[in-house]
Amino acid sequence: MSRFLKSPAVRSVARVVLATAAALLLGFIITWFVSDDPVGAYKALLLGPVSRLNRFGDWIEESITLTFLGLAVALVFKAEQFSLGQEGQMVLGALVSGAIALFVPLPAYLRIPLALLGAMVVGFLWGLIPGYLKAYLDANEIVSTLMLNVLAVKFYEYMLTYYIKPPNAGYTASDRFPVEGTLPTFFPPIPGLENLRQTFINQTNISIAIYLLVLAAIVVYYLMYRTPFGYELRMVGANIKFARYGGINTKRVIMLSMAISGILAGLAGAHLSMGIHRKLILNIQYGLGFEGIVVAILARNNPLMIPFSGLAYGYLRAGADVMERSSDVSREMVLVIQGIIILLVTAERILPMVQQRVRAHRGEGNGDEEAVQADASLEAGKGED
Amino acid sequence: MPIEVVLRSIFSALFVASVLRISTPLILPALGGLLSELAGVINIALEGIMLVAAFTGVIVSAYTQSVWMGVLAGIVVGVLFSSLLALFHLYLETDIILAGIALNIMATGGTIFLLFTLTGDKGNSSSLASGAVPTITIPFIEHIPFIGTVLSGHNVFTYLAFIFTWLVSVFLYKSPLGTHLRAVGENPEAAASVGINVKRTQTIAILLSGFLASLGGLSLSMAYLTLFQNSMTAGRGFIALAAVYLGGRTPWGTFLAAIIFGFADALSNQLGSLSVPPQWVQMIPYAATIIALVGYNVRKRAQARERARKFQEQQLKELKTAPAE
Repeated sequence: MSRFLKSPAVRSVARVVLATAAALLLGFIITWFVSDDPVGAYKALLLGPVSRLNRFGDWIEESITLTFLGLAVALVFKAEQFSLGQEGQMVLGALVSGAIALFVPLPAYLRIPLALLGAMVVGFLWGLIPGYLKAYLDANEIVSTLMLNVLAVKFYEYMLTYYIKPPNAGYTASDRFPVEGTLPTFFPPIPGLENLRQTFINQTNISIAIYLLVLAAIVVYYLMYRTPFGYELRMVGANIKFARYGGINTKRVIMLSMAISGILAGLAGAHLSMGIHRKLILNIQYGLGFEGIVVAILARNNPLMIPFSGLAYGYLRAGADVMERSSDVSREMVLVIQGIIILLVTAERILPMVQQRVRAHRGEGNGDEEAVQADASLEAGKGED
Repeated sequence: MPIEVVLRSIFSALFVASVLRISTPLILPALGGLLSELAGVINIALEGIMLVAAFTGVIVSAYTQSVWMGVLAGIVVGVLFSSLLALFHLYLETDIILAGIALNIMATGGTIFLLFTLTGDKGNSSSLASGAVPTITIPFIEHIPFIGTVLSGHNVFTYLAFIFTWLVSVFLYKSPLGTHLRAVGENPEAAASVGINVKRTQTIAILLSGFLASLGGLSLSMAYLTLFQNSMTAGRGFIALAAVYLGGRTPWGTFLAAIIFGFADALSNQLGSLSVPPQWVQMIPYAATIIALVGYNVRKRAQARERARKFQEQQLKELKTAPAE
């Protein structure tokens, strides 16, 4: 039992769960101060997403976007490249896939793959730019990707306002995508379940993106752990000097890590435009900018865990929407919770410190020594993953 | 509007004055970014600290009806917020970049959340009567044509930006603590070996950086505008960080770089009157930042190559002059 508790995987999960619980508790305290009905507000936050089918749909759709973004972040973070360019890549992915969905007169079975491909290509290219700047010109990727995000969003607004919006529409949004340009429902046409399928189609926009997502998570895992490139990527992340001396072309790895990450962010954009909104709207990226980061951190950058952390975090966000609509607390409270989660999960010292306190409290005598040992095993665990 | 009108307005005293006004909320946080950068901790949280300070200043000045209480509260809360960065990075061993990102997210969410709780509006604080810091007219200078318009009549923060650039450069190169700070950033182990307390020095650098970023945030909400808007920093914290690199990690270089970004921003305001789509114009400061970032590194490399070449030549010369053995 105690060996089970000391295994690094269990520790890592326990840490995430504890951090999330602590952050939710802090969130509740904040809610208590500002709300007339804090319990009602928190109930909406925690139970909202499963209270109705359409809210369930919102949860799953949101989680799909978040998971794509989380995969994108995990890939670059694994190489210790702090690219924050997912927002821009996603917006351009939405733009290109949306334009193809609207204007390319092809049947659905060609148009949809073409649109997805377009989103992937533009995401790749928009990730290639900061990758090149970092690898060959040594330009700080945090600053450059944030600037590129603004450029992408402005370009999206420009294209939408001047080219894609119907000329005499009073609002800034595209026409609704035709059926040939919309991702079809995830629900297979099983005989006998037609009614259920129709209910899902009517009340939710859950699309085949969910299968793409599972595929993407597996592909990213395979890429990271079963290919030479993935090995190089992890080496660059673990110790770039060592990687260079080992003969790895680190510049190429840095550049490609950001570009490949862009593919996934581009797919998130395609899911936004062709799956969720089914048209191009202003601020399509609203509130999604840094959300991939928390998803990746919750999963400790493990691609196979990211769909789960995406679901968990999507649940929180969908709950926040319900909370905002049914109480006096605004949804941005969740951003505060998110920040706390990141801080608690990534603070390396908190868990050992808590353990030490607990042991000392129990009066087990040489508590310090054990804590040091626990520390060492944690360090060893870190080396393994 | 024809292009000549735009050109004429760019070369006017009013335009130069507006560049200084627009640069102020970049110069102050950039100096903060410089201090923490030189101490070896990259402060990604400038943006969040600015936002928190800008918000606090507006709210407190609205409720107390005192501008200076607002400024003071903004500084205190901004510095406290930056102390979270020090706590988590230096003492709980969170990755500095992730900690900075977390603080930025908390600042964005927290300010909107509180704004909504206090005013019922998520967009801005226009329903509150918040204060504005006074402007200063410099006697005598204000009457000199051109120079008077450029230098006189700015808000307090613009003058503070000049003063703090000077103070920071004195601090860094003339004071013992500043020297220690640079030593810590250059090589923490070496600094520790001569008895400098690395963590303490870095903590001070982060707090000072938080102080300067707070001033930058306050200048945005209590001088440049006189209300708080959600996410009103609009990436200025990151542009400020770029100014540190572009400025070659020196105080006056950083100051100049921030003014260049301010110029790009002011220019985009002027071009807004042309029939160019506004989105293109709004891109200018951000595109300029990327170009500057790359330009700085290209220049740095060329200098490094030049140094290497000179070194080689010198070595060769020495070899030639040395007697053959």
